[in-house]
Amino acid sequence: MDIPPLLLQTGGSLIAILALFGLARALRLGGKPRLADENSVREAAGEVEDGFEATRTAISRDGTTALATNAEGKIMVIKLHGNRFAGRILTREARVREEIDALVVDAGDRRFGPVRLSIEKPGYWADAINRL
Amino acid sequence: MPDFSPTQYAVPLFVLAVLAEMVWSRLKNPEAYEPMDTLVSLGFGLGSTVAGALFGGFAAYVFIEAYDYRIFDFGPEWWAVWWAWPLCFVLDDLKYYWVHRAGHRIRWMWASHVNHHSSQHYNLSTALRQSWTGAFTFGLLFALPLVLLGFHPAMIAICAGFNLIYQFWIHTEAIRRMPRWFEAVMNTPSHHRVHHATNPRYLDRNYAGVFIVWDKLFGTFEPERDDEKIRYGIVRQLGSFNLLYAVFHEWIGMFGDIWRAPWRHKLSYLLREPGWTHDGSRDTSDTIRARWLARTGAVDQAPLTKPEPVASRNPIESPGQAA
Repeated sequence: MDIPPLLLQTGGSLIAILALFGLARALRLGGKPRLADENSVREAAGEVEDGFEATRTAISRDGTTALATNAEGKIMVIKLHGNRFAGRILTREARVREEIDALVVDAGDRRFGPVRLSIEKPGYWADAINRL
Repeated sequence: MPDFSPTQYAVPLFVLAVLAEMVWSRLKNPEAYEPMDTLVSLGFGLGSTVAGALFGGFAAYVFIEAYDYRIFDFGPEWWAVWWAWPLCFVLDDLKYYWVHRAGHRIRWMWASHVNHHSSQHYNLSTALRQSWTGAFTFGLLFALPLVLLGFHPAMIAICAGFNLIYQFWIHTEAIRRMPRWFEAVMNTPSHHRVHHATNPRYLDRNYAGVFIVWDKLFGTFEPERDDEKIRYGIVRQLGSFNLLYAVFHEWIGMFGDIWRAPWRHKLSYLLREPGWTHDGSRDTSDTIRARWLARTGAVDQAPLTKPEPVASRNPIESPGQAA
């Protein structure tokens, strides 16, 4: 049976891709960074938006998500993405929902997804986001 | 006519090199790789070869038709003209510089090229994060002058293949600096790390493919600094490992902006720089850099080497007006 070269190449590449993905997992590459304190949130916030200087922060108990606000009243939500951090400045499109043990922030970016934050004083942050 | 695709032969080497860098990463810098990020990067690579096979025919057709109108003729055995090969390689690299620069400065082109920059990591798998949608831009027009000069499309394709292979190895943090003479002339891991950075100092710098001299010549060169940690990716990080979203997100955003924009601004959303809006509500690399300069008082290195700003000497589209 003749297999078209493109199909053969694609199949071989797919096997190699899955093998490399498996190897990356087996070697435990990546690690699991955490937002441990205010300074780490400030650093992450400055990476999301250059010049963003957080004046108040809230870190989720597991260290994977955080909220930060600056002197201009901007609010940023930060989440762990792989082993890097990504974030969004919240706008009027942002939605916030209070659950029993957490705050769920939707930045209005469907692919970025809702961010779950188990934080201290969730009411303060919910009000602040609702006021945007 | 030679039937040869250098990149096809290089694929096994790419796989072995990624494997070797993973072992290096395990020993020296485990954070350099992230399994899902690697999977997405390699998925991009596979998809781009399929897209190339499906849509590359149009560019080949245009080039072969244009070849009939060539100014110089290297004869029926054009592949035997030895000096045409290095000449074609250098001119193709010059072409690459400009198509790459357009890829960062024109949103239509960026919609495709953003794929290559969408990882927050910088390793050899990132090099394989190639676009699926290049055929839907006007990038092929940049190669037409080479065809019209008389270089056969196959010769250009082979040179472009070697150019792409060269660029593979520079996507790494494992090599800090090459010897000084090499750094002066060639594109290197250090120079290309700058290109993939989102630090304001580094935005839209170092467009070179093989020879970094083009950036020095056209005023877009920025050296890597040891005192500034590089952040990789795009200004608005995706925050998602969804491959299809990563491939098409900028196309979706661009068409959405064009749809919503007033008529007189629609074309600008296609042809102006990424981040441009008619109401100034978003940031471009220029506004980010200007704000950073104002905030830090830092000195922008690139204009120091030339008396005028880059954009005013080599405009791609007129600033301050709808393109």
